[in-house]
Amino acid sequence: MKSKVNAIWPPILLAALFLLAWQALVVIQDLKPYLLPAPSLIFTTFITNLSLMLETGLYTATTAVLGLLLGTVLGIVLAMVAQRFFVFRNLMIPVAAGIAAVPIVALTPILNNMFDITSRTPRVLITAIVVFFPIFVNVYRGLTEVPNVQLELMRSLSATPRTVTRVLRIPNALPFFFTGLKVAAPLAVIAALVAEYFGGPQEGLGSKIASSAANTAYGRAWAYVVVAIIVGLAFYLITLLLERVTTPWAGRSRSA
Amino acid sequence: MSTLAVHAEGVWKIFNEGANNEVTALSDVSIDVGKGEFVSLIGPSGCGKSTLLRVIADLIPPTRGSVSVAGVTPHEAREKHQYGMAFQQAALLDWRTVRRNVELPLELAGWDKDKRKARALELLEMVQLQDFADHRPWELSGGMQQRVAIARSLATDPEILLMDEPFGALDEMTRERMQNELLRISKATGTSVVFVTHSIPEAVYLSNRVVVMSPRPGRITHVVAVDLGERNEDTRESDAFYDSVTAVREALRGRATPVGEGGARLAETS
Repeated sequence: MKSKVNAIWPPILLAALFLLAWQALVVIQDLKPYLLPAPSLIFTTFITNLSLMLETGLYTATTAVLGLLLGTVLGIVLAMVAQRFFVFRNLMIPVAAGIAAVPIVALTPILNNMFDITSRTPRVLITAIVVFFPIFVNVYRGLTEVPNVQLELMRSLSATPRTVTRVLRIPNALPFFFTGLKVAAPLAVIAALVAEYFGGPQEGLGSKIASSAANTAYGRAWAYVVVAIIVGLAFYLITLLLERVTTPWAGRSRSA
Repeated sequence: MSTLAVHAEGVWKIFNEGANNEVTALSDVSIDVGKGEFVSLIGPSGCGKSTLLRVIADLIPPTRGSVSVAGVTPHEAREKHQYGMAFQQAALLDWRTVRRNVELPLELAGWDKDKRKARALELLEMVQLQDFADHRPWELSGGMQQRVAIARSLATDPEILLMDEPFGALDEMTRERMQNELLRISKATGTSVVFVTHSIPEAVYLSNRVVVMSPRPGRITHVVAVDLGERNEDTRESDAFYDSVTAVREALRGRATPVGEGGARLAETS
């Protein structure tokens, strides 16, 4: 326990020092908010607009969760298909790489035109596209990188491919899945936010940051950025917690 | 035929046949293992001992030749869970408790939950790990993990145990203890054992017969019958033990005259 507590302090201290230096820089150099607002200004803006901040953060978080779910389900299903059917393997991996290379910034306005102006759907789709690749790649690795001796054991026990998947491949892939999810979860928040920049309903952190900056409300724009950071961190920490609970064996020395 | 645990006749295994990286892993190998018999396969790397074990286990098909296991084809024997297998690595599943690792073969054989559990606990008692039933594999030492693997290989009460250097990764002390344990268990259950090893004393201590193999191409060169009677603490220091160790060593060097009696059949090396 003690070491955990000790591990918390250095980053907090570093962050405090950073904020202090920032504040000092703004005060001493007398920087204008459009150049760089002081942490104190960002903080007061954050507090006075708390309910709006939370509401906006929640909107983006909801988009991110929906996209994360969709992208994760697609990633898992297609990784399983690719592992199971040889024909699909050679097809799926280049397709997955292609999806990873989709320029989401360019795709967003196109998708926005395809759906209703008030629709959240294009944003969810953009997020799902971004989430898909890290999940697919990691789950696929987890399903295929199974120790050979365990496959031989399964064969000696006359396990069908379906049983091998259930008993061996899926549990083996779980730690890999979480490696992917730890990348994908904060990425989902960023993707949702970026998608909000380019049209669609005037809701969410992306829209608000853009409109605040356009209205020279720099303190507010930065306060939304803080919200975005908090949401992203929350996603990461929830993933971390899920990982601890569901794969307690991960990172242990393998017995095989 | 039904009195034999394993019967292999004229078995060839050629990898990449016809290609320029063709390897003859097994060349005209014939071997019989009687019911309740303990037979070791020994030889340098590349002699085909593990390949032979895998052919018997139906993990790989032979290129030519016939094999029967417990009176049926290796495939049927595998489907009916008539052999149990243990490897150099324990190959336990980290996400399962020790007990549920032992239950794995029973689960795949369709046993119901309560019967499975009872049988697993019984097996863990046999390998003296009943107190570790709810532990995770990574909490156990290498020797304990291997004992779990042995318990697992015995789960379906198979007629035959196929073991591929199961004690290869263990230290000497643990290894000798495990050998005693394996002898006790195989005797108590009447299980026939085919045991791959590259340790001469291990092969001699455990076996009724030691089958000596040689590489390029993989073949049986000698069969050394071992008669040490009941093994006990003095066995490893007895003259008879040293004589058998010497006999196997000579055979491995290719100096001894081939020994083919005692039901063992040799490859006809012409």
